[in-house]
Amino acid sequence: MRSLFLKFFVSFWLVIGLIIGAAAVGGFLYAEQLQSTIEDFEAGNSMLEASAALQRGGREGLIRWRNNTPSDDGVIIFFLDESGEEISFRRIPFGVQRIFERNRARYERLQRDRDAEDNGDGRRMRSRLLPQLTAPDGEVLTMLVAPVQAPEAFWSSQDIRVLLFIFALMISGIVSYALARAVSRPVGKLRDATVSLADGNLDIRVADSIGKRRDELGLLGRDFDAMAEKLQRAAEHQTELSRNISHELRSPLARMRVAVELARRKAGDLSEFARLDQDAERLDALIGQILSYTKLEMDSDSNALPVDLSDVVNEVIENVNFESGSERVSLLSGDDRLTVIGYRGALLSAVENVVRNAVRHSADGSEVTIRIDASGDKANIRILDKGPGVADDDLPLLFNPFFRTRESTEKNSNGGTGLGLAIARRAIEIHNGSIVARNRKDGGLAVRITLPLRD
Amino acid sequence: MNDANQNAQLLMIDDDRELGDMITDFLASDNLDVTVRHSGEAGIEEFKSGDYDLLILDIMMPGISGLDVLKKVRLTSAIPVIMLTARGDDVDRIIGLEFGADDYLPKPFNPRELVARIKAILRRAQPQAEDSEVLALGEIRLDSRTHKAGVNQNDLQLTGTEFEILKCLLETPGKVVNKEYLSERALGRRLLPYDRSVDTHISNLRGKLEKAGNRNETIQNQRGVGYLLIPGT
Repeated sequence: MRSLFLKFFVSFWLVIGLIIGAAAVGGFLYAEQLQSTIEDFEAGNSMLEASAALQRGGREGLIRWRNNTPSDDGVIIFFLDESGEEISFRRIPFGVQRIFERNRARYERLQRDRDAEDNGDGRRMRSRLLPQLTAPDGEVLTMLVAPVQAPEAFWSSQDIRVLLFIFALMISGIVSYALARAVSRPVGKLRDATVSLADGNLDIRVADSIGKRRDELGLLGRDFDAMAEKLQRAAEHQTELSRNISHELRSPLARMRVAVELARRKAGDLSEFARLDQDAERLDALIGQILSYTKLEMDSDSNALPVDLSDVVNEVIENVNFESGSERVSLLSGDDRLTVIGYRGALLSAVENVVRNAVRHSADGSEVTIRIDASGDKANIRILDKGPGVADDDLPLLFNPFFRTRESTEKNSNGGTGLGLAIARRAIEIHNGSIVARNRKDGGLAVRITLPLRD
Repeated sequence: MNDANQNAQLLMIDDDRELGDMITDFLASDNLDVTVRHSGEAGIEEFKSGDYDLLILDIMMPGISGLDVLKKVRLTSAIPVIMLTARGDDVDRIIGLEFGADDYLPKPFNPRELVARIKAILRRAQPQAEDSEVLALGEIRLDSRTHKAGVNQNDLQLTGTEFEILKCLLETPGKVVNKEYLSERALGRRLLPYDRSVDTHISNLRGKLEKAGNRNETIQNQRGVGYLLIPGT
């Protein structure tokens, strides 16, 4: 079917119509059967016997006769007086009552017609009148029969009702199942594709599975593909752009550094050249940091892998110590083999930026210690320094890009680019972790990185 | 190979013309003659027609990239290659070393650093009088004089750096040679933080030894320290 709308509309319409129709037909059949049972009753002998009993014993005689007559014809006999009351006040089935009413109306019309003119129509009507008895006191009683087990027999039996119920359940169940499946399968596929897309699999397309459908879900599938296409192009564009930025910004810097060296040779080693060199290096570092900040996003588009935290921390320690030519940074407690799922490069740069920050802001030679431990399903990496710490007001701002504390602004710059901790935070956020800084009681800053452990 | 009183011939392939000119200028005073080509295609042409001692190769170029040039050059030549990479782009750097570059320098670089690296590699490439010996261990043999190495009867096609690393390891078989020493001997420079060049060269060397049929001797990694060559049993 072309559209979901039609599918739902037609299916519900058909099922509901069928069930209502079946109920209506059932009701009609019931009434028909009742009518024919009553009308086709061969009054014959019963009529004569009843008439004799009435003549002999009046109303009571008639009741006695009826009570003694075995109902082996499968019918119960009712006698109704002119007001429609049963002679022994038996409860009359509703259907029987209605037939009586109809009979009385017919009778009355016949009376009227007879007063006017006796025509063929009247004869035919008389043949369909119910048998009547006249009591000795002149009261006219109408005789009616109903099946002992009432005409409901078929329609009202407990078994049939259960069967009908099951049948209705089955039909509506089959239709509902087919409908639900028709919707849930493509939606499930679309959902898998969405999850995969969110995981960074930008190649994913659904054109082959649900894109061929001609209903709304097919349209949705094609829209999904268009969206994935755009995302992929944007991601590629971003990668391309940051490569170009890197290249375009660094080319002039590269020339500048060579020019400085050439100038130094010609003019001698002026202190201004050192300044130029230093700023060129700083610019280069800044470009590098901006790029790695944007690269974090690209990392998070690739597949996450198990990463051993102590491995990462040890590599950072090795590198930072190597660079400073000392053993300032040390791992104090190491919970062995704490594994998280993530991107090694991003985690490495997160830890490295925090450690470098600690080294930069603490007095020369004072130690920086790192602790790794697990609490529940989280891993904690604590980086503790013995520096001056940070004003409490500044603590929440510490991880903002280009944020500088008042102290470091006064001292001008001390080699940081202002992006290190922002990169750290971004890298940790990508891993659904958190990073917080607080001042230690005995001086210095403590930064805690919390990451969800691999299950 | 040029002797000491003749200038070394360098080929620089970089699309940045101004930088090429300035580098030519700068290196001239260090007795290094630089020829610059501005695209991969022109660079390969020039490399084939000239007789060069060292190649300076920019990774990021329009058209044929530096890596493709490197692959082409390595098909026929073991000429020392220094790559210029973007700083922080580990992938380019590692792939470059895997494809047989001898060293790399992130752009922007201090030209004095470039001179130091060029000189270190050229010095290493110079055959030295004192080590005319032939080193051998198990299936592996190495002749410093002819600059040739092999496994059994098979020749090993090693770059200068790989040759030098193998030589260091062969000098003290079974003993750990630390990475700092390997870096200084083979690359002529200090080991840097985040420097995985030695590790990459070692991994290339392992691959080549294995391909040449070496089954007995293994180069083992001593984590955080260095490497050792373990004699076969």
